[in-house]
Amino acid sequence: MTTYSSVGKPITRIDGSNKVTGDSLYAGDVQLPGMLHCKLLRSPHAHARIVSIDTSNALALEGIERVITAADLPTFNPKRMSNRAYNLLAADEVLFYGQPVAAVLAVDVSTAEEALDLINVVYDELPAVLDSLAAMEEDSPLARAPVTEIDRSESKGHVSVDVKEEQSDKPSNIASQAKFSRGDVDQGFDEADCVVERTWRSAMMHQGYIEPHSTVADFNAASGELTIWTATQGQFFVRDQISNMLRMPETKIRVIGTELGGGFGGKIFLTQTLAAVLAKLAGRPVKIIFTRKDDLQGATPSAGCVVDLKTGMKKDGAITAIKAKIVYDAGAFPGASAVVGAILLGGYYRFPNLEIETYEVLTNKVSVGAIRAPGAHNVTFAIESHMDMMARELGLDPLEARMQNAVSEGDKMPSDVPYTRIGMKECLEAVRDSDLWKSRGKKQNGNGKARGIGMAVGGWLGGLQPASAHVELNGDGTIKVVVGANDISGTNTSFMQIAAEELGVPLEMVSVGTGDTKTAPFAGMSAGSKTLFTVGRAVKEAAEDARQQLFNIAAERLEANPDDMESVDGEIRVKGSPDKSIPFRRLAGITTGFGALYPPIIGRGAITARKQAPGFTAQVAEVEVDEETGQVTLLNWGIVQDAGFAINPLSVAGQMQGGATQGIGIGLWEEMIFDDKGHLMNDGLLDYRMPTALDVPNIETQIVEVPSEEGPYGARGVGEPSIIPGAAAISNAIEDAIGVRVTEAPATPERILRALGKI
Amino acid sequence: MHRFEYHAPTSLDEAVALLKEHGDGTKLLAGGTDLLVHMKEGGLHPPRVVSLHAVAGLDGISFDKSEGLSIGSAVSMGDIEANDTIRQRYTALAEGAGIVGSVQTRSMATIGGNIANAAPSADTAPPLAVFDAIAQIIGSGGAREVPVIDLFEGPGSTVLAGDEVLTGFTLPTPPANTGSVYQRHTPRKIMDIAAVSVGVRLSLDGGNIGEARICLGAVAATIIRATEAEDALAGQTPSTELFAKVAELARAASSPISDVRGSAEFRHHLVGVMTKRCLDVALERAQEN
Ligand SMILES: Cc1cc2nc3c(=O)[nH]c(=O)nc-3n(C[C@H](O)[C@H](O)[C@H](O)COP(=O)(O)OP(=O)(O)OC[C@H]3O[C@@H](n4cnc5c(N)ncnc54)[C@H](O)[C@@H]3O)c2cc1C
Repeated sequence: MTTYSSVGKPITRIDGSNKVTGDSLYAGDVQLPGMLHCKLLRSPHAHARIVSIDTSNALALEGIERVITAADLPTFNPKRMSNRAYNLLAADEVLFYGQPVAAVLAVDVSTAEEALDLINVVYDELPAVLDSLAAMEEDSPLARAPVTEIDRSESKGHVSVDVKEEQSDKPSNIASQAKFSRGDVDQGFDEADCVVERTWRSAMMHQGYIEPHSTVADFNAASGELTIWTATQGQFFVRDQISNMLRMPETKIRVIGTELGGGFGGKIFLTQTLAAVLAKLAGRPVKIIFTRKDDLQGATPSAGCVVDLKTGMKKDGAITAIKAKIVYDAGAFPGASAVVGAILLGGYYRFPNLEIETYEVLTNKVSVGAIRAPGAHNVTFAIESHMDMMARELGLDPLEARMQNAVSEGDKMPSDVPYTRIGMKECLEAVRDSDLWKSRGKKQNGNGKARGIGMAVGGWLGGLQPASAHVELNGDGTIKVVVGANDISGTNTSFMQIAAEELGVPLEMVSVGTGDTKTAPFAGMSAGSKTLFTVGRAVKEAAEDARQQLFNIAAERLEANPDDMESVDGEIRVKGSPDKSIPFRRLAGITTGFGALYPPIIGRGAITARKQAPGFTAQVAEVEVDEETGQVTLLNWGIVQDAGFAINPLSVAGQMQGGATQGIGIGLWEEMIFDDKGHLMNDGLLDYRMPTALDVPNIETQIVEVPSEEGPYGARGVGEPSIIPGAAAISNAIEDAIGVRVTEAPATPERILRALGKI
Repeated sequence: MHRFEYHAPTSLDEAVALLKEHGDGTKLLAGGTDLLVHMKEGGLHPPRVVSLHAVAGLDGISFDKSEGLSIGSAVSMGDIEANDTIRQRYTALAEGAGIVGSVQTRSMATIGGNIANAAPSADTAPPLAVFDAIAQIIGSGGAREVPVIDLFEGPGSTVLAGDEVLTGFTLPTPPANTGSVYQRHTPRKIMDIAAVSVGVRLSLDGGNIGEARICLGAVAATIIRATEAEDALAGQTPSTELFAKVAELARAASSPISDVRGSAEFRHHLVGVMTKRCLDVALERAQEN
């Protein structure tokens, strides 16, 4: 095994102290002279025609500069209007509760808020289509004009799949659909000794980032330059989209992705174009900061989903068939990738016979976007519950039943694409050996509460996108790394380790910075578990390039062969002759000083990624269930994940714990609740419940390393998989404890009591 | 939040005068943990806010065996939770105050604000009611006393007039051999609001139950006493069967609604389960005291 000096070591995050001390600069911290504050008036109806908007009273309020409605905005290509991003403010019709209808610009936030109440909008209410299954019926009213030419650029940042989605030609609420089949499912079910058929529901839920959506836009009319400070996972994506929408050349757009207070797929592109347009209209900088209510009502949560699932297994544990219908509730604009869900639902196990239909359906709810592994937790809840139920019914060990059928390299996904090397079995093996899993059935129930242990796996294919990086030698011999990727998970810390490793210098000699779209080399969106996987490779390549440049110069100075050089302790030397060396500081002098003989050292790394490296995880939940109140208490949690190679084990463990915690939230609490008119009932963090520190048990992490082909040092994406199996593991643990199955996530006390027949 | 006028009187008289002068839209401010949330997010836009911060004498706790317990309206949840007398003699109240919000919330939140805010889920309301607490009120017409259980008219509404200030609460000294408990059901462990809450006090008389109080929260428009259930306990010897019967009576007394925190059926069910559990705990505590 190769030994490394910097990668593979647990390093605390370089952005950590600034975050803890409050020194980090977030978009909300940006204050510009003359800046106006924007508040959005949101629709009180899920579906209505806008009859008229009277802004005169609001405009009369002291401190109000402008009140903007759709009539004031630039018009976009009508085909693009199927894309949420192009609907800055509702024009003739509101399609979801909370959709922005007007924007107020005021000298301060309170004045802007006050003016919202003074805008008079007359609505003509239309029937709201809220249930995704009913919306699919032939005779269902339409939630909205059918969508055409869906722009999928945003969701491609999260996962790369090459399957054509169909769109129906008849007016319908179905935005897209796909079907996968293999073998003969009827025959498969005939061969099975156990067939389980259930419907699984998982709620629309929110990404729950701490920092709300925040953007400041400044348009300089004289130079025609637009500058945007914004909380985004993908500053280049924001730049490209704004350029397309506003028909501005990218030379005139500077997007500065500030420190990000969490994104989880929900912070890509939402308020930036509106802020830009408003700044242009007002001739003054404009700041938009969402409140928590704005975020819950009107950002882009994760789709709710209904999975009708039928699976079969033989007595010996061999799975025979899967038949499924997946329906994602996308809300009022497309945004739920139906295909990925189908690929994962039928893609963890080697089903010889398979038939999966998948749909993305439009309703009059807030439109959805990505979440950590978008669409994956919903389908995993279904398939991982089924694996447990079938094993239980046949008296098989649920882990061994999974092991027997698990996919590995070369096995085909439902899309017929073969897996590259993956670590699903290795994850299962690690769970099999864990103390928590081995303690099954050995613990006593106590004080009227039943204990149970359950497990589930999850996998994520990951995204692919080109990336680039620079590595430079500073004047004092230290190293500067510049990337364009917004650091949402500690990636800059890992880039520091990679550069230090390749250049043979201590970590203290390397600084990493994320530039903005005007200064940084291109990087894809920080999404799809691909930042380290792609940008990390670019940094590695750039560092290697810089090293080679250093070797060449040093070799010339030392009259040696560049191939004989090595970098040790901050100097380049001839291998085996420590006395023949040049320190980095000296090399900096002769490449940057006045009249220097050599050009500056600037390493270039530019890569394209072609091979996905799917990441798997297996997780174990231990619960205690109060059968009288339905309350579930988590006692222990174990997570095993394949990181390929953990460049920074501390960051990887952090990603695992964070994702597991979100999975726990999905399993037990998180749910956007709409009333029968489509109003969101829980638009604050009191009733949209995310787990608190007291609700989450100790999470034991274990990293396994099955190297990927393309990732730096064999690393694979680790950001997303950890969120996926939580709800299923909890559902399995609950059945283990109390013998009943809750088929809806989250498993609230009320749903548990209903399953128990107590209410 | 909309703009508003802010006053910080230094005496109760001044506060009452301000309330009288400016009329109903004026809001009193104590810890602000309800008021500011309502003003920022709940669509409440009072033209005037009168802070009680500078008014002295509202933040004391005193106990005297013959007089009982007296708590100023501005006493914080944190101070109630930490008070030894309250923990020992009025355990349910310490439990109710101790479960409010987080440490930060409890440092700001006052008992007066909790009661005046009149949420059916207010965590100090059932404990105050089971100790027969009396609210002390001052207004332009003078001082008056109202039992806490009679203070509430509905969610967010009390019998306090627009120019009245809640100054504190008096709680009689409970008989010897008293045990009390307050429990609430919330989906999360902390930072949550009761879907159902139950306060119970049992005062034993020899081996039998002398006096019993059961107060339910979040299952009706106001907190309610389950009086039939209380009557069924009085003079009886505690037993599992008795408690089961009493829990059933408490369940029948509740009239919860369905909302985002749970359905009516769910809440009904919980009232029974939780009353039974609270009776067990209260009995155990009464026997220990
Ligand atoms: C994060 C958080 C968590 C919370 N958790 C809980 C919880 O677990 N349980 C719970 O019960 N509550 C909870 N609350 C609500 C709140 O903290 C309590 O109700 C608190 O006791 C209110 O007291 P206050 O001093 O902050 O009142 P304020 O907000 O200052 O006032 C509340 C209301 O009472 C009126 N008022 C205040 N003082 C007087 C007075 N002396 N006379 C007449 N009227 C008066 C005000 O005008 C206002 O209408 C929570 C709040 C927050 C923000």
